[in-house]
Amino acid sequence: MKAKTIGASLSVVAGLLMSMAAGAQEPGITEKSIKIGIFGPLSGPNMAYGFDVVNAAKMYYDKINKEGGIHGRKIEYVVEDDRCNANDLVAAVKKLVEQEQVFMLNGGSCSAAVVAAKDYVVRNKVPYLMLNASGDGALYPPTDYIFGAFSISQYAVGGAMVEFAAKSLNAKTIGYINHDDAYGAWNLEGSQADAATNGVKLAVESVSPSINDVTAPFLKLRAANPDVLLIVTYARPAALLVKKAAELGYNKPIILSVTGTASLSQLVENVGKPALKNFYIQEVMVDSPGGEKLKPIYDMYKAAYPDLAAKPDHPQTYMPYGIPSAMSLVKALQDAGPNPTREKVLEALKKQDFDSGVMAGRMKFGPEERAANKSTIFIKYDGTTMTPQPGVFTSRWTYKAK
Amino acid sequence: MTTTTATPAAARRAISPQALAALAAAALVLVALPVFTSGYVIYIANLLLVFVVLCLGLHIVIGETGQFSMAHAAFYGIGIYASALANRAVDLPYPVAMLFGALVAGAVGLFIGALALRMRDIYLALATFAFGEAMQWVFANWDSVTNGPNGLRISPARFGPLEILSDKQAYPFVVFFCLLMIGVTIAISRSRLGRSFRAVRESEVAAMAMGIDIKRTRVIAFGLSAAIAGFAGGMFGLFQTFIHPDSLGFQTTILVLTMVVVGGLGSIAGAVGGAIVFGLISEVLRQAPQYQEIIYGGILILFMMYAPRGLFAFIGDRIREARHGRR
Repeated sequence: MKAKTIGASLSVVAGLLMSMAAGAQEPGITEKSIKIGIFGPLSGPNMAYGFDVVNAAKMYYDKINKEGGIHGRKIEYVVEDDRCNANDLVAAVKKLVEQEQVFMLNGGSCSAAVVAAKDYVVRNKVPYLMLNASGDGALYPPTDYIFGAFSISQYAVGGAMVEFAAKSLNAKTIGYINHDDAYGAWNLEGSQADAATNGVKLAVESVSPSINDVTAPFLKLRAANPDVLLIVTYARPAALLVKKAAELGYNKPIILSVTGTASLSQLVENVGKPALKNFYIQEVMVDSPGGEKLKPIYDMYKAAYPDLAAKPDHPQTYMPYGIPSAMSLVKALQDAGPNPTREKVLEALKKQDFDSGVMAGRMKFGPEERAANKSTIFIKYDGTTMTPQPGVFTSRWTYKAK
Repeated sequence: MTTTTATPAAARRAISPQALAALAAAALVLVALPVFTSGYVIYIANLLLVFVVLCLGLHIVIGETGQFSMAHAAFYGIGIYASALANRAVDLPYPVAMLFGALVAGAVGLFIGALALRMRDIYLALATFAFGEAMQWVFANWDSVTNGPNGLRISPARFGPLEILSDKQAYPFVVFFCLLMIGVTIAISRSRLGRSFRAVRESEVAAMAMGIDIKRTRVIAFGLSAAIAGFAGGMFGLFQTFIHPDSLGFQTTILVLTMVVVGGLGSIAGAVGGAIVFGLISEVLRQAPQYQEIIYGGILILFMMYAPRGLFAFIGDRIREARHGRR
């Protein structure tokens, strides 16, 4: 009996020691804090895609901290600038993981750059939630470590746009213009999947993101006599295309993807209101930017960054995009319980399925699903008023191992 | 391009005690680095050493031969893709794959050099710039070979049984190859060929009068320069597992050009020092995202105003002034 008691006591002590050792091995976790690494483009020509998105994530973590943190631990964040450049992004990630010893990562607004960190993150088994990069090349084929919580993948952006054009605007032929880069290639693949299902013909033109004159590709598209024009580019080529369409008297619907809407006020200034007579923009949030359903997010921003909020064009259009990934990270940490480990958080992420109240669709991962969001809404925009269109449109694209 | 004062060979070969001390300190830092620092610092060190080799390549064509080239990001990219693909496709041992990358880049460099023979100054700059842009387009669109806009995953390098999976594992190899390329560049610079390069740089007419084949010399300079840039590409694959065409554009060319010019045109130490100093400045400035472009621009303007011959010429001048002052 005595021997049994001693044996049981030793087992308990050994178990405790083992769990303490396991806990001690988890970087970035203390009794009072959980350290996470945030990164995004905070400088350079692409900062519009990341600056206020990072701000949004930070303010959400601050909110959680004010409410008591996660199981009593406060979130401590370290922010790095990745300049939207692959080498700098890898440097930022390695600094956060090895020097700052963060528990997990939440960052990246640039899809081509985030893929460069994939092998490193997987080898080091660091849980990584992308900020607002679609990063399809990092998300698929799926790994156990990389998740896109905001991420409407580019496959889903393209697919949902075709769904809207076919179902709401009765398009039979779609003029489709994308970038000749990773973004564009992924988007086209998703668009083609939904076009085939809807029996829609795509007339495709691919342009360089740095194109200065869009006359030739636009004329080629118009020659195909499309019912709708889909523009899937970054902001600058998008503005050139919308302006060129107006100049050449094109008056059929134009739908601009979420990637081209960095600053709507800038778009209006660049193209003029008359160019936006029959114009729709895609939005992955539940409402138009600044709309009633997103008001709490905008109010939170005003309270967190009063100086920035007082400036024109702030918050930037993409600001709320930092919220979903921060929500997903917080929820995974909560679900992982009071003694979180990286493995527990990763398990929680794989099972995550919730309505954020911020995104158009549910935030849902799965065994092979790493881009949480596949749904978007569409907004008619005349340069002044935003009118959300009825319905939520969801891409059909799903990952299939090749 | 710039003019330099001829230095007697013996004086050039002599290494001053200060230079020797600096070399010893550099060697100590290189050896001690992996012991005391994290993988992040080693990653930055690896990246800087790759840029050192890339700058050495540009030094051959600009600094030694006085020709203008804005295609180095392209040659670098050719080296990355060629070595990665050779390694992946036929499982070539990585050093052989690196050599293959350098040879492919060198062959393309010879071709471009031959085409650009009749051009000089701004025309040559524009022609090489156009080539660089065309190559970036090829990287982004030749899907079946480069994986196009999705970028190419680079398989981990293998040296016999050792598979390189971390920056620290790659570091000794990167240091070795960097020192090797510094040695090769010094050897080229001190050879008959190097003297021909400088003769062409100083005066083509005088060089021709001495029996130097100007066209041949310029083409060889382009080829060698491209091969060294290609080799730098192979070194990149030692520790980096992914390459995207976006990283091989005009921005990279300008970065390398800035490093060489600000380090000091016509000097190997300038090319090496420029790469390290400006690589480090760039990394340090990431901590000040709101102001980094202003600070970086300000530093460049100050260099152009107060050290137009480059950082190392400036330091040398100050040392000489201090010595004369003491006397």
